[in-house]
Amino acid sequence: MGFSRLAAAITVLFASAAACASDDKTTFERQVPAEAHGVVDISNVSGTVVVTGWDRPEASVRAELGAGVERVDVNTDHGRTSIKVVRPHPGQGGDADLHVQIPKDSELTVSAVSADVTTSGVSGVQRLHTVSGDITAELGGSDLELKSVSGDVKLKGHGQPARLHVSTVSGDVHLEHGAGDLEAGTVSGTLVVSLDSARSVRAHSTSGDVHFEGKLARGADFDVTSVSGDLNVRASADAGYAYEVSTFSGDISNCFNATPSEHGHMPGHTLQGTRGDGAGHMHLKTMSGDVQLCDRK
Amino acid sequence: MSGADERKVGSLRELSPAIEPARDLWPQIQARINAERSTAAPPRPARVRALPPRWLAAAAVVASVAVGVWIGRSLLPAARPGAQSPISASRESFADAPTALDVAYVSDPRYQRDRAALMKTLQARLEALPPPARAKVMASLAAIQRAKQDLQNALGKDPGNALLQELLVDTYQDEMRVLTDVQASDAGREI
Amino acid sequence: MTQAQADDTRVDWEAALVQRACGGDSRAFERLYREHSGRVYGLCLRMTRDVQLAEDCTQETFINAWRALARFETRSSLSTWLHRIAVNVSLAKRRKASPVEPSLDDEEGTGAATEWTLETPVEVREIEAAIEALPDGARDALVLHALYGYSHGEAAQMLGVAEGTCKAQLHRARKLLRERLNVEVG
Repeated sequence: MGFSRLAAAITVLFASAAACASDDKTTFERQVPAEAHGVVDISNVSGTVVVTGWDRPEASVRAELGAGVERVDVNTDHGRTSIKVVRPHPGQGGDADLHVQIPKDSELTVSAVSADVTTSGVSGVQRLHTVSGDITAELGGSDLELKSVSGDVKLKGHGQPARLHVSTVSGDVHLEHGAGDLEAGTVSGTLVVSLDSARSVRAHSTSGDVHFEGKLARGADFDVTSVSGDLNVRASADAGYAYEVSTFSGDISNCFNATPSEHGHMPGHTLQGTRGDGAGHMHLKTMSGDVQLCDRK
Repeated sequence: MSGADERKVGSLRELSPAIEPARDLWPQIQARINAERSTAAPPRPARVRALPPRWLAAAAVVASVAVGVWIGRSLLPAARPGAQSPISASRESFADAPTALDVAYVSDPRYQRDRAALMKTLQARLEALPPPARAKVMASLAAIQRAKQDLQNALGKDPGNALLQELLVDTYQDEMRVLTDVQASDAGREI
Repeated sequence: MTQAQADDTRVDWEAALVQRACGGDSRAFERLYREHSGRVYGLCLRMTRDVQLAEDCTQETFINAWRALARFETRSSLSTWLHRIAVNVSLAKRRKASPVEPSLDDEEGTGAATEWTLETPVEVREIEAAIEALPDGARDALVLHALYGYSHGEAAQMLGVAEGTCKAQLHRARKLLRERLNVEVG
């Protein structure tokens, strides 16, 4: 499991760094009891936040605090563990690198501004929010809500169905081995999505391109729109799907030898058809972006 | 509930208090809040912020002017109340030009008010972002403006086009989402 | 700088969102909703035992919270405040939907703190079904105390009953769970 090895490597690196911390950084360590299915909230403006899930009923925090970071507050109350990096003057101060281990079934929320966020081994619900920090997360089978303004998002799943909600303004989104229900939106980022099994997909971009590759579950709903971004979809479905592709001024190409129809004297093309038994529903729409639809190999 | 229901626990305290609703309840909450806000008192004044150190002031002024000029050129014309959109203009040429979009967005006072409130603080929020993030957000907002313009131009030629109408609505919603996300990004800086 | 001064100048992430929401920022309020909706809905569902009522209760809780946000003291716990509102809304909805249950006299309970441990592990869905089958008063007290971690006094205050009544309801809940699950509840 690549993410666990990565997490272990990060743990070793962090331990070494803590042992020989430089003069202008301080180290911080704290362990508190944490419920197996409790809530964990982590806040850090800048630096990094690395969260890994484990089997112990406790939360362990290790941090390297740069100059200008006052302290890390760790509190537990009625099943909620809160970990907050505190700066004496809001909006100012150095970086804080947090490495947090939490019960793997915790409900995790991370709020960051420019801190990069990485999670692995967490099976509970995850809510990860950054402004410009990048997010790298391992999907654990529970719901996930990810928002970033300009940070890039990398998600890796294991094919377990869940509800995924991902939203960026300009950050790119890469999702591998997801499954279940996906709602993804970006303005100018690129969406590259691979789903082992999709129950529903709703994706939208303004100018970013969307690349989808995956398998549609029986009766799946698949809706992707873009104003000027290109759509590239490679899908398969055991029970087939009915598709409708519409574009105002983009081009439509497909691997089925189907010919798009024009709208008389008005601009626009539409391509409609059915693959297999047609149990699912696929709608692809753009204004000027090109659309390509093929079978997944 | 999920397969987690089949697991066994040794204490009631191990039960998760949280249960996710089967459907998203936020849209209805938001609709009620919006309805109440339209008749609510004006929002509280913003908190007074401490002035930045003097040696940063000059750089801040330059960045502020640059962002302000960009906002004025790129974003403000669409927010001018009473400005005639290409959709409204095209109504004079096509009998069946859509009016729903006009009502829903361009001339809706609630949309105008919400957008204007977000635009007021946009400059400060953008300036507070790290420069690479600021550049990316400004590029995204510019992409949205271009998309709106392209869609409105295309609707001028084909006003009954459902695809274009749907994409234009999506684009207006995207702009509001970006403006509110940038607005909310400042909350994180106050940790 | 003293601890008190540090506390005064420190702006909590959630408090920042509350402040923005007070200023009319519904996006900030939506983030608070996303943060707390699961626990509020869980409370409403277990109290009302009806999905539709629980959804109504959850929505009304957050709408009431939006209206009353200006009165919320950011130094106290937002989740506790939301749960208080949710309990009031759930009780009101339940009274409207079904007749009032006869009140329990302050019968003698052990009063001793319990960790609600089970002699042998039991499946979650079996426990949830047993909780759902409890009478209203016993179920309310059990959910607030055992699942949400409120003290006897806090749970009693939220439910609008005397602390003694709350303890008696918990004693009753423990007894009924023991009978239903067929395991000792410690």
